[in-house]
Amino acid sequence: MNNHKPVNIIMIEDDEGHARLIEKNIRRAGISNDIHHFRDGTSALEYLHEAPDGPTHNGPALILLDLNLPDMSGTDILSKIKADANPLKRTPVLVLTTTDDKIEIQRCYDLGCNVYITKPVNYESFADAIRQLGLFLSVIQVPDLPEANG
Amino acid sequence: MRLSLKKMAVSEAWFNRLVIGAITLGFLALVATSLAAYHSVRENQFHSSQVNHTFRVERAIAEFLSTMERAEVGRRGYLLTGVAAHAKTFYDARKRLFPALARIRDLTRDNPRQQADVTRLIALTRSDLPFMDQSVALVQSGRRDEGVGLFRNSVGRRAITVLRAQATRMINEEDRLLAIRGAATVGSIRLFYVTFAVAGTILMLVGVGSIWVILGYTRILTASRDALRLLNADLEGAVRERTADLQRANAEIQRFAYIVSHDLRSPLVNVMGFTSELEGAARRLHAMMDKVDAEAPHLADKDARTALSEDLPEAIRFIRTSTEKMDRLINAILRLSREGHRQITPEKLDMNAVFGSIADSHRHQLDEKEIDFSIVSKLPVVVSDRLAIEQILGNIVENAIKYMSPGRRGRIEIRGRIEGPRAIFEIADNGRGVESRDHDRIFDLFRRSGVQDQPGEGIGLAHTRALAYRLGGTISIDSELGRGATFRINLPVTLVAEQEA
Repeated sequence: MNNHKPVNIIMIEDDEGHARLIEKNIRRAGISNDIHHFRDGTSALEYLHEAPDGPTHNGPALILLDLNLPDMSGTDILSKIKADANPLKRTPVLVLTTTDDKIEIQRCYDLGCNVYITKPVNYESFADAIRQLGLFLSVIQVPDLPEANG
Repeated sequence: MRLSLKKMAVSEAWFNRLVIGAITLGFLALVATSLAAYHSVRENQFHSSQVNHTFRVERAIAEFLSTMERAEVGRRGYLLTGVAAHAKTFYDARKRLFPALARIRDLTRDNPRQQADVTRLIALTRSDLPFMDQSVALVQSGRRDEGVGLFRNSVGRRAITVLRAQATRMINEEDRLLAIRGAATVGSIRLFYVTFAVAGTILMLVGVGSIWVILGYTRILTASRDALRLLNADLEGAVRERTADLQRANAEIQRFAYIVSHDLRSPLVNVMGFTSELEGAARRLHAMMDKVDAEAPHLADKDARTALSEDLPEAIRFIRTSTEKMDRLINAILRLSREGHRQITPEKLDMNAVFGSIADSHRHQLDEKEIDFSIVSKLPVVVSDRLAIEQILGNIVENAIKYMSPGRRGRIEIRGRIEGPRAIFEIADNGRGVESRDHDRIFDLFRRSGVQDQPGEGIGLAHTRALAYRLGGTISIDSELGRGATFRINLPVTLVAEQEA
């Protein structure tokens, strides 16, 4: 991981249970980074762009994104983050959702999503997937943000 | 619309009758005109020849009269002068008198009155001529005075006057005839004109009537054609609207199924996830209980032990099997809704080959259960979606294999035929069959029939029927419990690719 600044994990997930299960399994994989959980797109975007301790102003981040949110579609958030002018455009986004529709998956990759994971209903597979994601998180390199100098 | 079509039929019959009537009338008028013309020409010819004849008779009489006058002039000249040339004139004229009379008699042979007059004329001429001859002969023999004396005798003079009167009477008679004949000619011509005028009027009336009727009929035809076109356009519009409605409804249902299945999945992830967490916690508690048993048995509680080793695992097991089943059902709905999204691509399918490959893919089960699979008749070729057809038929064959009657050698027979624009395929088995009250039910989602001794969720046939509908087809079952079942699939021979909605 990044040497001088810890990577914040930002989880945008409306389902409390899912969020708990994801967090539990990430912790079990030995990942101890901060996890910021948001239940809707609006507050998540505000944090991402505006908050002083958010990724735009404060260090590298990794975003876990659910597609089914109450106030906006996950793909809207994805396209906003990956837009050319957005300082967060290089921030890795992992879509983690129940949708396994081929067209939806394609669309997410087209919009610039870095990894797409379908949440398996079978919990063993689910826990397994999240633990592997944890292993993955422990080795990936996250880019520094150009503006993130404060 | 039906009313105007009826009106149309009535007007058609009326029109036909009228046209036939008018044509007959016109034809009759034409025939009458021709007959009248023929008759009138004949009459005319006849009357002209009669008139000609009259003129010829008159000319003959005039010729006789002038010859007679000439003879008299010659005689008188000779009697006065004694010049021989006058005698010659007399003789020349005298020679022509009787032929002239004979001609008159010949020409008037048809008229008894004229014949009588001619006979009288001949008699007069005969009685007069000897005096004339005598007087001329007397002069020739030098007895001029005697000859002149004879002339003075009134006989000679009377003769010529009487002759003239007689001839005039004959001419008058001919004139009378001429007047009658002329009147007859005029009469026949008038008759012709009248006939012609009447026939012409009839023809004109028929013509005008026909034109009027045809115009009226054309107007009705145009109106009904317009009405038909409108109706046609309406029909196409209605069909289009209906299709759009159906597609909209279908899309709505699919969207609904999609959303529902996804939204149901989310809580399911939690139920399963936390059940596993619970299980993990129970395991840890179990380990602690074991430790308590080993290190401080007096603390171990029997109820707590039962709860940990029996109640908790049982509850967890039920939660898990139920959620797993729910997951399968949700997946089935999702699959059905996805199937509706898939693009149908019709291609030419040799159904013998399709059934052959289905049999091959189930070869292992067929051999294991000793089932005879046969294609009874040569199957028709259809144009349809390969994947959908394979799924439909594969599903039914699979069911047939699955629900064979134990204790009876299994048999699956495939038949196919073309009926008009439809192809019908039958998959008949001698398995356990389906009760008649379940014949519709088995095609519903999650519904099954008979003894539940085989695994399955009641999805296959629902899926099969959805696919058959998608291909513009239907599926039905013909079965008696314990006697086997025949699934009948009715498909369009040629499936037209649907337009993108």
